[in-house]
Amino acid sequence: MIIFKIIGCIMVIASSAGMGFYFSSEMKCRIDDLKELKKLIVLLRGDIRYANTPLPEAISSITRRHNGNFEAFFKKVSSQLHELSGLTFPDIWKKSVDLNLMNTSLTKKDKLYLIQFGDHLGYLDKDMQINTIDLYITQLEDEIKEASKSAKEKAYLYNSVGIMAGIFITIIML
Amino acid sequence: MNTKDELLKIFSLKLRTILGKIKLDFDKLQEIRLRMNAPLLVIYGNKEYFITEDARLVDNPSLAVMITKNEIRETMEYISNYSLYAFEEEIKQGFITINGGHRIGIAGKTIIEDDIIKGMKHISFINIRLAHQVKGCADSVLPYLINKKTNGIYHTLIISPPRCGKTTMLRDIIRQLSNGNTKLPGMSIGVVDERSEIGACYMGTPQNELGIRTDILDCCPKAKGMMMLIRSMSPQIIAVDEIGSREDLEAIDYVIGCGCKLIATVHGSSIEDIINKPTLCELVQKKLFERYIILSNITGVGHLEEIYDASSKRLYAANDPAV
Repeated sequence: MIIFKIIGCIMVIASSAGMGFYFSSEMKCRIDDLKELKKLIVLLRGDIRYANTPLPEAISSITRRHNGNFEAFFKKVSSQLHELSGLTFPDIWKKSVDLNLMNTSLTKKDKLYLIQFGDHLGYLDKDMQINTIDLYITQLEDEIKEASKSAKEKAYLYNSVGIMAGIFITIIML
Repeated sequence: MNTKDELLKIFSLKLRTILGKIKLDFDKLQEIRLRMNAPLLVIYGNKEYFITEDARLVDNPSLAVMITKNEIRETMEYISNYSLYAFEEEIKQGFITINGGHRIGIAGKTIIEDDIIKGMKHISFINIRLAHQVKGCADSVLPYLINKKTNGIYHTLIISPPRCGKTTMLRDIIRQLSNGNTKLPGMSIGVVDERSEIGACYMGTPQNELGIRTDILDCCPKAKGMMMLIRSMSPQIIAVDEIGSREDLEAIDYVIGCGCKLIATVHGSSIEDIINKPTLCELVQKKLFERYIILSNITGVGHLEEIYDASSKRLYAANDPAV
């Protein structure tokens, strides 16, 4: 009987510690995703600034150069833009943010900013595009900075709280 | 993808469905006009028709489908590939050229800054002019362009009013001279395609056939492009569409001075028209061009009216076979 209790305790502590590690690694993954997204948006800016490339073409070219977490997202946007299905660009962008960013660690707030960014793309002149993109890149940089700062503080906290919570639950159960 | 599918893609969903159902010979379709709160109109076989909701061509405008603000907005979004910013320069000139070489004329409220047109907003009128390749349309003209002594060609100016087929004629002349035939060897041709109408390049690939020895400088201002091509591609012939500005004339002088032959087009209906234009009159006075081809649409688009030489001597006249 005691052996089952020990196995149970180990499982509780392990799962609780696992959750702690999961949350701390999610924070690191979010930073990586934000950095990746920033890189792709810089590519988009380059295409628009250098060659005045229209959005479907610029996004297709991003898809060709990238095969990370955002591949599905940009592929979907690109294919829908080529379909000319009656949806506006912000609609296509929003739909794709909602459906094709499941495998990233972006938070709801990050996705909201990304949707708001799509609302202003393709609108007015080239200067407006560049300004919109610059503004979003600054926003991403701020997010990365903030997330990196809090990751240092919180990663250790999540790990410790995970293990401690596991031990605490074990003691109560015993 | 055929011309019809390619063209239909630029329309809003509703118009795409209607136009898709119509049984039209797209080769005879010349223009599709969308005007906000006005009926959908097409120019088909030189005649004007309205289009009904159930996809019929009628003469009565009250039966036609009305164009709403939304149709115009959606159509503009597709024409510009969701990226109006990418067509800033074209919008300033009032038209956009799309895949297939079709020219989309637009009108709305212009935005002016320091007396210069900066852009356009509230676009409410769209005119889609279809480009057609007519292979062989230059057959009757070519013998007059060939200089048998030098085995080359003459400097040629094609003069025609809008919608009379001067770009189509230029395109076929380029194609035939570039490919060559048993009588004339193929020549390397540089085309400065400022409005993407001649080659209709889409992402760098010409959609129209311009021959195997043709290099195209797409979306490049004519004057700068002519000089660039001479320096970079060493063409024997330079071809440009719709000349008219002072810079164009300077570049033409340069081209002719370099020993290249030039084929160009200009708006007008006779040599007198050109003489009466302040900048272009120099071309005739200096006898820069050795052949003038006059087109009209009396018997249909691309009707060859007259051909003159440098000293305005008539070499061909449609209504005077004796010449």
